[in-house]
This record gives sequence, C-alpha cells and structure tokens, in this order.
Amino acid sequence: MNPTIYLRASALLALAACAPYPQRVNETPIMVNGDRVQATDASAAAPLVASERDAMRATIDSLYALAIAGASNAVREAVARGEVTIGMNENQVYAATRSTPDAWAVRRASGSSVMVPAHTSAAPKDKLGEMVMVQLEGGAAAVLSRRGPQGILVASRPQDATAAAQGKAAAEALIREGDDLVASNDLAGALNRYDRASVLDPEAAEVQYKAARLLDLQLRPQEALMRYQRFLLSLDIERIKAQGEANAKMAEAIAMAQQRILVLEKQVR
Amino acid sequence: MLRRRAFFALTAAALAVSACGIKRVNRVDPNSVTDLSGRWNDTDSRLVANQLITQSLGANWSRDWSAANLGEAPTVIIGEFRNRTMEHIAVGTFVRDLERAYIQSGTVKVVASSSERQEVRDERADQQVNASAETRAKLAREQGARFMLQGDVQAIQDSEGREQIVYYQIDATLIDLESNTKVWVGQHKIKKYIQRRRLTP
Repeated sequence: MNPTIYLRASALLALAACAPYPQRVNETPIMVNGDRVQATDASAAAPLVASERDAMRATIDSLYALAIAGASNAVREAVARGEVTIGMNENQVYAATRSTPDAWAVRRASGSSVMVPAHTSAAPKDKLGEMVMVQLEGGAAAVLSRRGPQGILVASRPQDATAAAQGKAAAEALIREGDDLVASNDLAGALNRYDRASVLDPEAAEVQYKAARLLDLQLRPQEALMRYQRFLLSLDIERIKAQGEANAKMAEAIAMAQQRILVLEKQVR
Repeated sequence: MLRRRAFFALTAAALAVSACGIKRVNRVDPNSVTDLSGRWNDTDSRLVANQLITQSLGANWSRDWSAANLGEAPTVIIGEFRNRTMEHIAVGTFVRDLERAYIQSGTVKVVASSSERQEVRDERADQQVNASAETRAKLAREQGARFMLQGDVQAIQDSEGREQIVYYQIDATLIDLESNTKVWVGQHKIKKYIQRRRLTP
C-alpha cells in the first residue's frame, strides 16, 4: 500500500476544511460600514402642521360667526357653554362641539340629515359627552345621541338634553344594570349600581327601595333600616296616595317598607 | 559591533510592536454606519427613530383629533418601551428622538412621563412653601394626556457555524387613554446577517 495516497487524501481534507464556509445566505447588503443614515429632522414638518392648525381654527371661527348670527339667546348661551341642544342647526352643532366639518360625516335626504363622527377614535364632544349622532329635521337638531358610561343616551326633547336629564338617564341605565345583576345573583354589584344611581338621581325613590330590599336580604339590618327610611322620606307620600290605584305597586312598596322598618327597628334594638 | 546592532534592532522591533497597542480615538460622523459586533447599535436606533417619526407624522390620527377638538394638538405621554430581547438595548435613544420630533413638528404636545414628573411635582410642592406668591407655580394645573405611546423591541436569532441572523422588530402603539383604542401603530424591522471570519488579523 502506497502511503502517499493517505497523505494526499489528508491534504485534500485539510484543504476542504480550510476553504471558506459555504454561505447559505446570498443577499445583497442594503447598508454597509461607511454609509450615512441621516437623522430625520421633524422641524421641516412644523410649518405645514402650523398652517393646517391655523386653517382649522379659521374654519371654527367662521363657524362661530355663522352659528351666532341670528341665534336666540338660549342657543348662544348653549354654544358658549359648549352644549348641543335640541333645535340647533348644523353650524351651531359644529360651534357647540368646537369641531370642524371634517370631524363629521353628514348624510342628507329630503329635509332630514344625520351627523355622525367621521372618525370613531376622534368623535366630537360637547359638555355632556361624546356625540354619537345628531339627527336634524328641517335643518334643526331633533334627536341627540351621546355615549355614556352605561350606553347611548338619547335626547329628543329640550328638557332631555340638559345635564340633569342626562344624569337621570344614566341613573335609569344603572338601575336596569343593577336589576340584571340581581337576576344573575351578583348582589354586591347590584348594590354598587343602585348606589351610583342614587347619587346621579337623588329623587329616584325606587332605587332606595331596591337597595333596602337587597340589604335586607343580605341580613344587614341597620343599613336596610336606613334605606327603608330614606325611601319613605324621599317619597311624596301624599302624592302617591292621591294617585291611588295607578300607583298600587308603589303603595305596596311603601307598606312593605313601613312593615320592615318596624321589624328591623326591633331587631336593631 | 554585531551584538550592538542586534540590540538596536530588537529595541526598535519592541517599540514598533508596543506602538501597535497605543489607543487611537477619532471623532466620526454620528450619522455614519459603524457595525462592529453585529449587536444593536446607534445605526439601528437611528433607523428605528426615522421610521417611527415618518410613520407617526404621516398618519392622520393627530389631524383627525384636532378637527374634533378646536384645532388643538393632542397631548401624548410616553409610556413604557419594553426590551424583550436578551440583548441590552437602550430604547430611550429612539424614544427620545420620537418625542423630539413630536415637539419640533408641533403635531402633538408631549407631557412629562411618570418617571419625569415626580421631580417636577416635588419642586412645585417646594415652591408653595419657599417661593414668593407671584412666582410660584400653581398646583393642579397639569395637562392630562389623551394618548399614551407604548412599545417593545423583540428579537429572533438564528445561527449556524460562523453565520448568524439577527432580526429585530420594533413596535410602537399610540393608545387612546379614554377608550383604549389603538389610534396608530408603527413598526420597523431590521435584519442583520453576521458572518465571522475564521482567522482574525
């Protein structure tokens, strides 16, 4: 056997091992050492942004002038407060929400029109909340919809569009939510909703009664007693009596409350 | 004579060798691409900042918000940018670049982040006691942010022998603080192919 064969073979192997590693990636570099990557100078965009903002403010100023021209004092006050009210025209809605027409999508059809936010992420707002829809009839706002924590609040009468009425509507939504929670056996959650509703609408007697019943069921006599008393105090009992049969359900609640007060007072003592 | 020559030759050689080890510092253009190890570096940070600035300023979210809000610029707070890689990445460099671009362009107003504002609040509280009435900064006049900028850096590595691929993905998100809606999402991807030589000089 010729030993040179082994020598040649090992030399070949050594050469192969020293050869450049087989490159599996054959991509052309898009950037190499020595290239330059300039940092973006955003100040160049500043004049454009400033002119855009100025144009927006000029539009809003013109809209204010158009909105106020010939408007009643009530509408002027509402625009100044930043509150959309029933009867406002399109320009007055823009002015009251401090928005430009670009923020709205308006669809018109035979005397009626509907204004909805053009972008859901940047919906126009008034003092009472985020606008969801403004329905205009004959150029005047007839139905207003706002987004509230408990869902959409709709106002179709001037008295519904006030802050107090919106609070009342929110309280009603909370009471409904509380009732659903009672049905699903979340009594603590329901009590929380009733408490919030009673703050938003202190005149709502029904909510005091519901809270008292819940506390009574949870065997919390002292708190239940206070709630029953508050329920009776918040009622105009004479008015309820006068309404007679029409308020039979409420009368039943009154009787129940009075009865429970007697029982709970004995328990508490 | 020969011995003396050999001595001088050796001394000169020793000097030449030691001269190679002398530290050399040069100032170079901060915009230059200088890839040494293949790890995350200033060029990557600059590339990310440039891309996020271009994407963010080119998006319509700010204009849409201004149109619905008296032409005012929206207010942004810089939230957390998480480094989800195994590498040390100074995310603050490109986040600051983005913040600077927002302010320079006037697109948005930027309020102090949670880590920055405590010092300011301490100073304001101190002024209530020590500053004169006409110069003290009033309390409860901070501007609330409407949007929060958050993001993260993620990396995928693949290597075989002397070759390595490193892929970075940088995501930035602008979230409406009231509705949790993501109004803008920016993204930049960097892929590096690193090949190590067998012999180094």
